[in-house]
Amino acid sequence: MNTQSLPRRGFLKVLATILCGIAVKVGTKKASAAKKIGTSDHNWGMVIDQSKCIGCGYCVLTCQARNDISPKISWIRILNDNNTATQEVFLPVQCMHCASAPCVSVCPVGASYYHADGTVMMDYDKCIGCRYCQIACPYGARSFNWEAFTQANPSVPIWGEPEIERRQRGVVEKCTLCHQRIERGLNQGLVPGKDQEATPACVNTCPVEARIFGDLNDPDSEISKKVSGGMAIRLRADLGTSPRIYYIPGKTES
Amino acid sequence: MKTKRIRLLATQSNLWLLFLGIFILSGLISAVVVFSKGLSVTNMSNLVPWGLWITIDLSSIALSAGAFLLCAAVYLLNLKQFQPIARTATFIGLIGYSMAVMTLLLDIGRPDRFWHPIVFWNTHSVLWEVTMCVTLYLCVLVLETAPLVSQIEFIKRRFPKVHLVLEKAHLLAPYLAIAGLALSLLHQSSLGATYSVLKARPYWYSSGLSLLFIISAMAGGTSMTLLSSLVSSKVSKKAKIDPDLIDRLLPFIKWVLIVYLYFRFWDLLIMTYTYELGRTETLNLLTRGQFAFNFWVLEILLGIVIPILILFHPRLRKIDFFKVLALSFVVVGVIIFRWDTTLSGQFIVLTYQPHQLGAQYTSYSPAWIEIFAGSGVIAFGLLAFTIGVRYLNIVNHHSNKPVEVG
Repeated sequence: MNTQSLPRRGFLKVLATILCGIAVKVGTKKASAAKKIGTSDHNWGMVIDQSKCIGCGYCVLTCQARNDISPKISWIRILNDNNTATQEVFLPVQCMHCASAPCVSVCPVGASYYHADGTVMMDYDKCIGCRYCQIACPYGARSFNWEAFTQANPSVPIWGEPEIERRQRGVVEKCTLCHQRIERGLNQGLVPGKDQEATPACVNTCPVEARIFGDLNDPDSEISKKVSGGMAIRLRADLGTSPRIYYIPGKTES
Repeated sequence: MKTKRIRLLATQSNLWLLFLGIFILSGLISAVVVFSKGLSVTNMSNLVPWGLWITIDLSSIALSAGAFLLCAAVYLLNLKQFQPIARTATFIGLIGYSMAVMTLLLDIGRPDRFWHPIVFWNTHSVLWEVTMCVTLYLCVLVLETAPLVSQIEFIKRRFPKVHLVLEKAHLLAPYLAIAGLALSLLHQSSLGATYSVLKARPYWYSSGLSLLFIISAMAGGTSMTLLSSLVSSKVSKKAKIDPDLIDRLLPFIKWVLIVYLYFRFWDLLIMTYTYELGRTETLNLLTRGQFAFNFWVLEILLGIVIPILILFHPRLRKIDFFKVLALSFVVVGVIIFRWDTTLSGQFIVLTYQPHQLGAQYTSYSPAWIEIFAGSGVIAFGLLAFTIGVRYLNIVNHHSNKPVEVG
């Protein structure tokens, strides 16, 4: 081994390694920029009408029942959005299913991923519980299972029956647009958004019909009309996450 | 047959081992509680998911940076005179990365799935890249430490074949140094990038943190190695140092600190111009709020300015007390920088209500179980270093062994 030339060779090797590393990084980013799992012609979205929402919380309870969620966790959080309104204005917040989701980029094991229909999905079997996605989400949409949920679900059976497996301690969970209902409904030839059996539970249970669900790819769907009408806004649109949950603002004093 | 009576004397070293043992035991018990009950026993929450353990993890990795720097200096820049220190640094690196892995195992929700990032890739994720680099670098460190282990008399006598194999590892040293340099440069800055890429956290969302993490690691890692060498030489006869060798590395630390201060200055100054939602609140928290003491006194004054002044002063820098003081301050500064960055970024929560766009404040302080578990990991590190000094000759600048190690 010629030790004299080693530093120079070594430097060149290091440089080559780093350049290769950068090339790989840039290359893979461009190649798998928006990797989606599955195939779909649909692009699901939701509109929540704040002018109708009365903050009853039925959506939260039904969600907890149908997705077997611990009472300490909520995929939907109902916040106050008051300003100068004569009536109280509520803001139900849940996973926005962003088209450019920070949580999908940062998950080290790819447990958070895009479905072809736009839903940001969770693979609870891959999740290692590092909670990086929780820190990355600008909407605080994700909940970590800090402890095991072993007791009976208090929302069951009044608000519905569980449709998916209960998550174990140590993984992160969030709204999945009741993807199990959508998939089952599509298999039966139903239309999500119109047929209750294929529509997310929160949309079905809302007593004032403040929630609309449908296919943004379908220009004739109710949701497409509401979105293109210009009244619907998205939260923190300035961040560039491209959420798929739209809001129609509450009535304020003119 | 005469039986040897072992008398347990209350010697300095035995007391030290007892002290460490208590913390390791309490750490183990805490870890068992955490693994069995879940992370709900900690004070971490959905708003502050990363706390004390992540800080210990980040700090362990940063303070292990001496390994890649000194091995690169010895094998790539041909500065062979630093080889004994490189050996110390490599062992510290092995300890540090083990501590980081242990803390991570505690912190992730599913420790049984620790292997997932190696099998399930997400090449977009900076954290994935960090995990891969840390895993690979841990292998590099193990190989770099192998010659050290091969020198143990016990191994030489009982497992001569193993001894030969391990000794051959020293031939890999230059290539391991290259790999170590590339991997470390990548993941030390990527740990900063873990925070930088998050648009949800305006204070973090800039390119500054990646740079600051690698620079502070270079200062902190070298300081940690020199500090450990100096302190162990004072308390143990087994640790023999060459003060001249240590003195030759002090200017390096001094200049890295100056560069670090320079980058931090501009990074922070730019943030003071014009209100930016989330970023301004976090900056206020750091400079005027609850982190003000940590920031101004521990990070800047003690962590950077005073060590620079000491290392510039012609007489002070020759006095051992001030050397140890300066190096300790740098180490503390590096740790507190990571603590402040991790927490301040999470303490400001941005609202998203269209009519109530603003910043809210949350808080966190570690639970006792987090403190005990964290202390247990740190005590393990100290114990491993103690054993290294005593039995593996890791602090020995007068080694006349012909075999190259580390």
